[in-house]
Amino acid sequence: MSSPEKTTPPRKRRGGDGSKAEIRMAFLFLLPALLLVLVFRVFPLAWGFVLSLTNTDGIGKGDWVGFANYTRAVNDPTFQDSIVNTLLLLATLPIWVMLPMLLAILIHQGVPGGKLFRAVYFFPAVLSSVIIGSIFNIVLRYDGSLNNALAAVGIDAVDWLGGSATALGSLIAVQLWSTFGMGVLIFLSGLSTVPDDIIEAARIDGARFWQRLFLIIVPSLRPIIEFVAVVTTIGVLTSMFGLIYVLTGGGPGTSTTLPEFLIWLEQGQLNRPGYASAISMILFVMMGGIAYLQIRIMTRNASL
Amino acid sequence: MSRRSKSDSRALWIAAVPMFLLALSCLYPFYFALNNALKDNRGYILDRFGLVNDPTFANFITAWSRARFDEYFMNSFTVTVGAVLALLLISSLAGFALAVLRFPYRKLVFVVILASLMIPVQVVLVPFYQTILALDLLNTRTGLILSYTAFFLPFSVYLMTAFYSALPRELVEAARVDGARFIHVWWFIMLPMGRPALLTLAILNTLYCWNDVLISLLVLQDERTLMVGITALRGEYTTNVPLLSAAIVLAAAPIVILYVLFQRKIVAGIATGAVKG
Repeated sequence: MSSPEKTTPPRKRRGGDGSKAEIRMAFLFLLPALLLVLVFRVFPLAWGFVLSLTNTDGIGKGDWVGFANYTRAVNDPTFQDSIVNTLLLLATLPIWVMLPMLLAILIHQGVPGGKLFRAVYFFPAVLSSVIIGSIFNIVLRYDGSLNNALAAVGIDAVDWLGGSATALGSLIAVQLWSTFGMGVLIFLSGLSTVPDDIIEAARIDGARFWQRLFLIIVPSLRPIIEFVAVVTTIGVLTSMFGLIYVLTGGGPGTSTTLPEFLIWLEQGQLNRPGYASAISMILFVMMGGIAYLQIRIMTRNASL
Repeated sequence: MSRRSKSDSRALWIAAVPMFLLALSCLYPFYFALNNALKDNRGYILDRFGLVNDPTFANFITAWSRARFDEYFMNSFTVTVGAVLALLLISSLAGFALAVLRFPYRKLVFVVILASLMIPVQVVLVPFYQTILALDLLNTRTGLILSYTAFFLPFSVYLMTAFYSALPRELVEAARVDGARFIHVWWFIMLPMGRPALLTLAILNTLYCWNDVLISLLVLQDERTLMVGITALRGEYTTNVPLLSAAIVLAAAPIVILYVLFQRKIVAGIATGAVKG
């Protein structure tokens, strides 16, 4: 759909700005939004960068220490672990994209019960991560219902959350389980924009189901795949705090500590705001590139 | 033409089996919380996995009054309503300005607001907390309302801008020729016209605010919201799963009701970011 802006180019060529009253009103209307974003997000970001260069204890001003907090972070085993955990998490990204895509395609192709599945799959995504985490904390315990169910089919109990080999996997699985429904929805709305006649044409040619899937449907979903990949990446980098907090508390050891949780530990329990800010800045840089992609997609879609 | 080949429908039936099991697992939290909330603690210890056979509502009463979930509920409610109203008002004003009014650096302002998406609360945890302290907003509901508004604002502004820029321009132009003041255009035209988008935003932002835990842990430390209350309950009554389950049911009930009532709206809103229209 073309925006009104594109259909009325002459006004734009005149300079684009309205009367003085119009400019003043625009400023007033934008003031609350800008003020909030600047005071609570942009200014703290700049201030956080300044803090990250000091050794403040949170009360006094502290001394200027240059990039010492950053070198300390790089050499800190806990921070290194949190980065390794993040990379392990990101290595599972294909599953986060492919699973919802496959489910959405099957629903779109008319799998029996598809409408019901669509509604139910999204249900965990509307629940708070605190609620999901509290429930799975009990389900995944050594004496929890998962091990109980496994025992019924003769599988030995596993300490899902307490073992350092399984804790991260459990955390990832719970997060994936609780958010895949959102991916399904996004793919379904993308599929509704793929023209039916393309799919029909392939059917007349006698293309098989799986051929049709990979040769025709998947390529036409490329923009959606991009979007889901970007949104998922941002999600796993910044929205797992609640789940970690109640499910594993970052442990055992550091095996489920991600940077965002480490920042929380540093700022709250150890009271080293300079160091916590340095880790924050590193997380910001990691996110920056990915978020930039998201903003480009959104700007394009808003056709402003 | 729309008849499927036999191999197609067989493939779909086979796929339906794991998909059905997955759907069952998605309803499991529901079963888990309700089933355990209705047991007493002794009944739970004796039979942790079975269906409740002697349902009791005592856990709800304990959670509500003794574990102070009545207060937590009111805190969550007040803060969510306040933040959602602020978000609607502010994003509608900003969206109107960005989509309709003509002023210098329009696109830049839009990008700055969107770019703040790059600054989630984790990235500014320490300085954000210090800002809250400096503004004397620690442990105030106003502080939490303002924080939620700031952190959930970009998507709302984005959606309102996209929605308003797709409206017929004649509407606004006509109002302007008639000499209507911009504030009147916003109040009498843009706000009513924006209702579908505003409803979507109201629902989505309710979910975000109600479910949040990190910002709430930071800003409202003395009083608690529901989600913080649940994390605290886990610490205080480690073994009392029925009580915890009752608290979970209380905390999730408004969201479940919202989901059942507005499922379509939620679905459409989530998909908006990806595909326009």
